[in-house]
Amino acid sequence: MKRFNIVGKDIPRADGRAKVTGTAIYTDDIKLPGMLYGRILRSPLAHARILHIDTKKAKALPGVKCVITGEDTPKIKYGNWRLFPNTQDEYPLAVDKVRFIGDEVAAVAAVDRDTAEEALDLIRIEYEELPAVFDTDAALKKGAPLIHEASPGNISLDRKISYGDIKKGFAESDYIREDVFTVHAVSHAYLEPCSTVAQCDLDGRITLWTSTQVPYIVQCLLASTLGMRENDIRVIKPYVGGGFGGKMEMRPWEFCAAFMAKKTGRPVKFTLTREEELATGRRRHPMKIYSKVGFKKDGTLVAKDLKIHLDGGAYNSMGPTATFLSGNFGAMLYRIPNYRYLGQHIYTNKPPAGAMRGFGAPQSLFAAETQMNMAAEELGIDPIDLRIKNAMVTGDKIPDVATISSCGFIESLKEVAKMSNWKRKRRTLRTGRGIGVGCYSFISGGVFNWFNTQYPFSAAEVRAFADGTVHLLTMASDIGQGSDTTLKQILAEELGLKMEDIRITAADTAMTPQADLGSWGSRVTLMAGNATLEAAKKIKEVLFGAISARYNLNVIYDMECKDGRIYAKGRPDRGMSFGEAVALVQKANRGKPLVARGHYTPRGKGLVTPAFSFGAQVAEVEVDRETGLVEVKKMWTAHDCGTVINPTGVEGQLEGSIHMGLGYALSEELVTKEGKTLNTTFLDYKIPSALDMPPGESICIETYEPEGPMGAKEAGEGLVSPTAPAIAEAVCHATGYRCKDLPITPEKILKGLRKK
Amino acid sequence: MNISGFEYFSPRSVEEASQLLLEKGKGAFVMAGGTDLLIKIRRKLLKPAVIIGLKGIPGLDKISFNRKQGLTIGATALLSDVAHHPKILRHFPAIAYAAKSTANTQIRNMGTVAGNLCNAAPSADNAPTLLAMGAEVILAGTQGERRLPLDQFFIGPGQTAIEPGEILTAIFVPTPPPHSGVSYQWISARGKVDISAVGVGVMVTMKGKVCSSAKIALGAVAPTPMRARKAEKILSGKVLSSRMIEKAALEASREAKPISDVRASAEYRKQMVAVLTGRALSEARQRAAKG
Repeated sequence: MKRFNIVGKDIPRADGRAKVTGTAIYTDDIKLPGMLYGRILRSPLAHARILHIDTKKAKALPGVKCVITGEDTPKIKYGNWRLFPNTQDEYPLAVDKVRFIGDEVAAVAAVDRDTAEEALDLIRIEYEELPAVFDTDAALKKGAPLIHEASPGNISLDRKISYGDIKKGFAESDYIREDVFTVHAVSHAYLEPCSTVAQCDLDGRITLWTSTQVPYIVQCLLASTLGMRENDIRVIKPYVGGGFGGKMEMRPWEFCAAFMAKKTGRPVKFTLTREEELATGRRRHPMKIYSKVGFKKDGTLVAKDLKIHLDGGAYNSMGPTATFLSGNFGAMLYRIPNYRYLGQHIYTNKPPAGAMRGFGAPQSLFAAETQMNMAAEELGIDPIDLRIKNAMVTGDKIPDVATISSCGFIESLKEVAKMSNWKRKRRTLRTGRGIGVGCYSFISGGVFNWFNTQYPFSAAEVRAFADGTVHLLTMASDIGQGSDTTLKQILAEELGLKMEDIRITAADTAMTPQADLGSWGSRVTLMAGNATLEAAKKIKEVLFGAISARYNLNVIYDMECKDGRIYAKGRPDRGMSFGEAVALVQKANRGKPLVARGHYTPRGKGLVTPAFSFGAQVAEVEVDRETGLVEVKKMWTAHDCGTVINPTGVEGQLEGSIHMGLGYALSEELVTKEGKTLNTTFLDYKIPSALDMPPGESICIETYEPEGPMGAKEAGEGLVSPTAPAIAEAVCHATGYRCKDLPITPEKILKGLRKK
Repeated sequence: MNISGFEYFSPRSVEEASQLLLEKGKGAFVMAGGTDLLIKIRRKLLKPAVIIGLKGIPGLDKISFNRKQGLTIGATALLSDVAHHPKILRHFPAIAYAAKSTANTQIRNMGTVAGNLCNAAPSADNAPTLLAMGAEVILAGTQGERRLPLDQFFIGPGQTAIEPGEILTAIFVPTPPPHSGVSYQWISARGKVDISAVGVGVMVTMKGKVCSSAKIALGAVAPTPMRARKAEKILSGKVLSSRMIEKAALEASREAKPISDVRASAEYRKQMVAVLTGRALSEARQRAAKG
C-alpha cells in the first residue's frame, strides 16, 4: 500500500481551536447594523383550510417592521427533487392549506425577538379544520382524507427494484421467514438550531448566511422561489453545529429572511428554538417494513421480498431518496440472487421526515440484520458464520446498481468476532448478559442527479503562490464532520506541503467554484476529495514542467513534490522550493496567476454510488430483568472505509455514530399524539448523555478504493446503522426478548420476558 | 428569552425578602437557583412582575450538622454542596445521593434542594428521602418562623403549603434513631443523567431483626410525593425478612397512583414502585445493620 506523509495521520482539526475557545462564528452570532429579528407563526392544526388571515394588529404593534403570509409571496413550490417537479410540494409559507402542526403560515420581522414573538400572538387566522391521518395504515385506507390533491391514496411516490426470479427463489428455499418490523421517528438533535441571516444590497441582490449542509441547493431554490437569478443570491456557510441530514434543504426561514430583507431593506435574522426544532423539525422516517427471506438449509440466502411503507409526514422533503435507498440497503451486505423491493412514500399529517444520517439504512438494516439474527437462530448457525457465508466481496455486482469495487466485509466480521471474544461469550455469558452483532454497508455519495444540477457534483480551485502557500476554494461544506481538515490533508499530501501552508475558503457561493451538492450521503471525502486532487495534479503538472525545463532534465525523469520541494526523483539536487517553482512559472507567463480547477462527477458508476463502505459491530449488554433497563457495556467495531485520511476523524465519526445508534435503539423517540409532538425538550427527548456512552474498541480494515481519493471512501454515516440491530440481538441473547419494533424500551423488555 | 419586564430584588435578609414578597403581592416570586423558575418564564407558564433573589442573603446557604439534633440545609445551599458535603455523605448518604441524582452537573451547581422542594414537582428527586426521614421545612414570614413536617408541605403539583409572604429558609432533618438505615432508589429511561420516572425513599429502624418503624415515600407516582402508609404498617413490628419486604413492596405499588406520560406508562410505574421499594428496603436494612 502507498505510503503517505500527511494522509493517515492524526492531524488536529482545522476548526478545533476556534470551537473550543468559543471564537468560532456561527450564524446566530452574526449581528448586522439595523438587523431585524424574525419569528414564524405555525399551524396549531394538523390539517386545515386557511379561510382568512388578519395581520392588521400585528403590523400595528410598535417595533414590527414586516409581516408576511403566503399571499404576499410569489407562491412558487420548491423541493430538492428538481428533476421531477411534481415531487416539489412545499410552499415557503402555507397557501390555502396547512398539513401538519407546525406548518409555517406567517412570519414577522421586528426590532427585537420579544416584539416579534408578541406580534405572532396578534395574527388572527380562521381555519376550517379537516380530518387528518397520523399513520401510514390510516393514510392508505379507502376514503382517507387527502393531504395533497395531486397524490391520490396519499402515496406521494413509489420505487421498485427487482432482479432474479423471486418466485423461483422462494420455491428453491428450504427455510422461509416473514416478519413485520416497525421503526420510529427520531430527531437529528444537532447542537445548533437552524439559523439564518439575510441582507439585501441596493441592487436587490441577497447575501444569506445560513446554517446549512447545502449552500448551493439553498442558493438555487431561494432563487427559484423568489423569482431571481441564482447568482444574484450569495449563500455563505459560517461554522455549522451539526446537520445529520436535517439541514439539507432550503427551508422557510431562509426564504422569509431573504424576502423580508428585500422588503424592508434591513437585514433579517431567524433562529429557531429547540422546542420548534423538536416539535416541527425534520426527522428520521418511521417505517413499516414487511420482509420475507428464503434460505437453503446450509444458510445460503436465496431470495428476499421487501416492502416498506415510509411515513413521510406532510411533505416529500428528502423522502424520494430515502424510499429508493431503503430498498437499496435491503439488498446490500449479502449476495441475494433474487430480490424484489417496493417502497411507498406515504403522506400523513405530521411534521415531514427527511434525510437523516443513514438515509434509510438505519431502518432497512435494523429489519434486515434482525431478520438475519432470527434466521441464524432457527437455522442453528452462528450469526457471524451465517453472515460470512453470504457476505459480499470485492467484484460482486448488484444488478443495475453497481459493482463493488472494494469490500472488507468478511475481514470486518472476522476481526470483530476476534476482538469481542464472540464465540466464547455467545456460549458462556450468564442470564441478563448478552452479546449481539449488526452490520452495515453504505454509499460514498449518490450518483442519481435528482437536483438536476448543470454543474459538476463537486468542484475545487487551487491557487498557488510564490510564498509557498496555496489557497483551496471549494463549496464542500464542513458542518462539523471535519471535511475542511480532510480536504486540506489531501491537498497537502498531493503537493508535498504542510497543513499550515494551506488556506481554505469553503462554501461561499460567490467565491468558491460552482458547484457542490453539499454534505450528505457521505459524499464529501470521495467527491470533493477527487475534485481537490484533480486540481492539485494540474498544479503539479505545470510545476514539474517548469523544473524539467529549468534543469534541462531528460524527459524520462519522474518528478516529485515532497517536504515543500519540487525535484527530479532520484536527483533531489535538481529542484527548488514549491514557492520558487511557482515564481518560476509565473515569470514565464508574464505574472499570470497559477490557478487550477478540478471537478468530480461520477461516470459509469451505476445508479447509486461510486463506492460502498462495509462494517460489523458487536454489542455487549447487561439487562436488569426486574426494571427492564439496558446498559450497554461495550461496543466492538471493525469497518472498511478504504484509506483512512484522518484516524481521529474516523474515530470521531464512529463514536458519534454509536451515540446516535444508542439513542435510536434505546431511548430516543419523538412521541406524537394526533400529530402533536409531546416531547419538545431535551428533558423528555432522551439523547444518551456522555455518561451513558459505553467504552469501545475499533479497527479499520485496510482496503484501497480505486474510485476514492487516495483510496478513501465514506466513514460518516454507515456506522450509525449496525448499533440498533447489534443491541437488539444482545438484548435478545440476554433476555429472550426479540425486538421487532424500535425503540427497545424497558416496558417492552419486561413484557417480552413474561412471555418466555 | 422572553424574560423582559420584571423587577429584580436582591434583599440582604430574610425579613427584608419576606417584607418585599408581601408588598409586591401576587406577581412576586422567590428565586434560589432559578433553574426551575427561569424555564417556566421562558415557556410562558409564569409572568412574574417581581423576582426576589435569595442568593444575596448571607448565611442562607449554610449546611450544619449536630449529632444530637440533626442536619439543617439552608435554602440557598446548592444541590452540589449537599451532594458532596462530607458530613452529609457520612451521616446521610441517601440525602447526598438524592441530591446527586437531581438533573445534571450544571444544574446542580445552580439549583438548590430547597428549590427542588418548593417547585413541588411530583418527581422532585430530593423529596422521597427527606419524607422518609421525617424532615421539616422552616418557613419564615413577617410574623416569625414556623416549622412544618414535609409530609404536610406538598399540596398538589406545583403547590405547597407556603403562605403569602413566607419563605422556606431551611430544611431540617432529624438524626435517625440508632440502628436506622435509609435508601433512595430511582429509575429513568436514560441511564445516568435524567429526570426520575419513579423514585423511592425509605427509612427503617431496627430492633434486632424486627423492624420497629418503616417509612416509605414515593416520587413521581402521584400528584405529590407521597407516603406509602399501608406498606409501612405491614412492616411495623415484623421481622424484616425478604418475604416481608416483597409484601410491603407490592403494597406500596398498590398505593401508588401514577399517570401515563411520555416518561413511562402508569402500569410500568406501578411495577417499578414494587421493584424499587424492595431494593430500597433491602439497602436500608443493610445500612441499619451497619449503623
